[in-house]
Amino acid sequence: MKFLPLIVRHLRHNWVRTTSTVLAVGVCIFLVCTLQAFVQAIAFNLKSANDSRLVVRHNVSLVFRLPEAHRGRIAGMPGVEGVARVNWFGGIYMNDRKKFFPNFAVDMDEYLAMYPEYQITDAARSALRQDLRACIVGKETAERFGWKEGDVFQLESFIPNYRKAEPFEFVIAGIYDTDSVKNPGTALTLMLFHYKYLFEGTEERCGIGTFSVRIKDPSVAVDMAHKIDDTFENSDTPTKTETESAFRASFVSLGGNLALLLNTIGLAVTFSILLVTANTMAMAIRERRTEIGILKTLGFSNRQVLFIVLGEATLIGLLGGAVGCAMARVMIPLLPSLPFIGDAVRGFPGLGLSPPIAVLGFGLAVLLGFAAGLTPAVLSYRAKITSLLRHV
Amino acid sequence: MSTVEVRAVRKVYRRDSEELVVLDGISVDVPEGDFVALMGPSGSGKTTLLNLIAGIDRPSAGTVTVAGTELSRLSEGELARWRSRSVGFIFQFYNLIPVLTAVENVALPLLLTKLSRAERRERALTALKLVGLQDRSRHYPRQLSGGQEQRVAIARAIVTDPAVLLADEPTGDLDARSAEEILELLETLHREFHKTIVMVTHDPRAAHRARTQKHLEKGVLVA
Repeated sequence: MKFLPLIVRHLRHNWVRTTSTVLAVGVCIFLVCTLQAFVQAIAFNLKSANDSRLVVRHNVSLVFRLPEAHRGRIAGMPGVEGVARVNWFGGIYMNDRKKFFPNFAVDMDEYLAMYPEYQITDAARSALRQDLRACIVGKETAERFGWKEGDVFQLESFIPNYRKAEPFEFVIAGIYDTDSVKNPGTALTLMLFHYKYLFEGTEERCGIGTFSVRIKDPSVAVDMAHKIDDTFENSDTPTKTETESAFRASFVSLGGNLALLLNTIGLAVTFSILLVTANTMAMAIRERRTEIGILKTLGFSNRQVLFIVLGEATLIGLLGGAVGCAMARVMIPLLPSLPFIGDAVRGFPGLGLSPPIAVLGFGLAVLLGFAAGLTPAVLSYRAKITSLLRHV
Repeated sequence: MSTVEVRAVRKVYRRDSEELVVLDGISVDVPEGDFVALMGPSGSGKTTLLNLIAGIDRPSAGTVTVAGTELSRLSEGELARWRSRSVGFIFQFYNLIPVLTAVENVALPLLLTKLSRAERRERALTALKLVGLQDRSRHYPRQLSGGQEQRVAIARAIVTDPAVLLADEPTGDLDARSAEEILELLETLHREFHKTIVMVTHDPRAAHRARTQKHLEKGVLVA
């Protein structure tokens, strides 16, 4: 601690270099924290997935429709408790893509029985049965648009098959919420409406996007998925069945390795900044060769000199970590409201800087500073006084 | 009793297969309280000898004993601790730390002691007063003249009350008037505080201020 004022003085003396290095580390940590927040949000989103639920889709792509006949055959299989048709509607509110929220046409009774985490009132259930236009909306989306029960709104899909002369009109029967402790990761942004309304509204052209299947025994989920696929293997529309978590993971990541990709980007950014910081530290110490020689002449031991150089680099990392975490704390919650980026990230529930990510970012920054200072510190440790003072 | 005892010291630098003998079997005694000027042409080995006495370099052969401690017996860490207690070094180019004020520069060697911050500051101010710069304690080196910077460097050298002061061309970078002031200051330290001083210099006028003069040529003591 005695040497801290000396370290701080050096950092203050060359404040432009110090500030730019701290900012470089800060931006790096901000990026790492943001990427980690996405990774965490993906994992959080998958937490709500349940292995007692399977998703059946066309073997080739989600774009291709499934026939109605499949529903009955799946429902009749032993171990299956329920089947619901689910179609991604792709509805846009007020023709403004920035006001996007996920919306699905579903077999409401079967679907809500499969998803008890979506909690609605009895009045809402009753209202759902009375009006084909009725829908339920997640609490976050309702709050976003200031909606309440009984409100009417319109959506127009960007999917050609779901378009008609007039937009679809919906009445909010209820606003669903969830117990976030019991059901972490449950999305509160969805809007669910009757599949029948879509079916009739599109003059029976809508087809079926996926089936959600509830099974009795989650431990045989993979076997059940194989059984379903085997059943339709030789049909005109073969299926691909996955557990809900596998489906979401593949859907969210599009390649299955989004988390790996994000982590790799984070590592690459960190490594680049490590090189930049190490170079800055090396330059800073090279400029002070004589000074290090003076310190050693005055009686500072090699170890103390090593500590001073490492301390300076670590302090830069520490400051960078603080800046990066502060940026992440402020910026990550703002991402959903940003143009372009906002549309992509709005679907991630729980996006934010969690304490573990903050600790990871801060620790990484300190480690980065320490690593950047290691080479110049060791060189200073080893350097002989006579060679350090030779440039005088 | 001698504060500095140099016995049959050789210093050889090797570059590839070539050997360069800088000091060739030198023996010197500097009695306690003496003021010695080491003179000689460039490359004669004056600074090398001073570095050996300061414990910042090691001889190829022979022994160097300063204030009763034989330096070759000390490890690097012990040598650093010994330097902080026993030697005050004055450089030709002052070598103050630019980011520290005059008082902080003077207090720098005291960071290695157990003194409190207030005690360190008090001692540094006393040393600055001794060199006549108490009113410049908060100035940075860039705000001082060359002569003032060298006086701060002298204050830094004496603040730990070392057994020996070593000065390497202390007036080499100064104008005549400033050089005169520095030499007077060194004389005062020798005369009134009985400091043992070894000074390397090219300047005969500076050397005349010393009580003893020794001449080196090609690594050998000639007088």
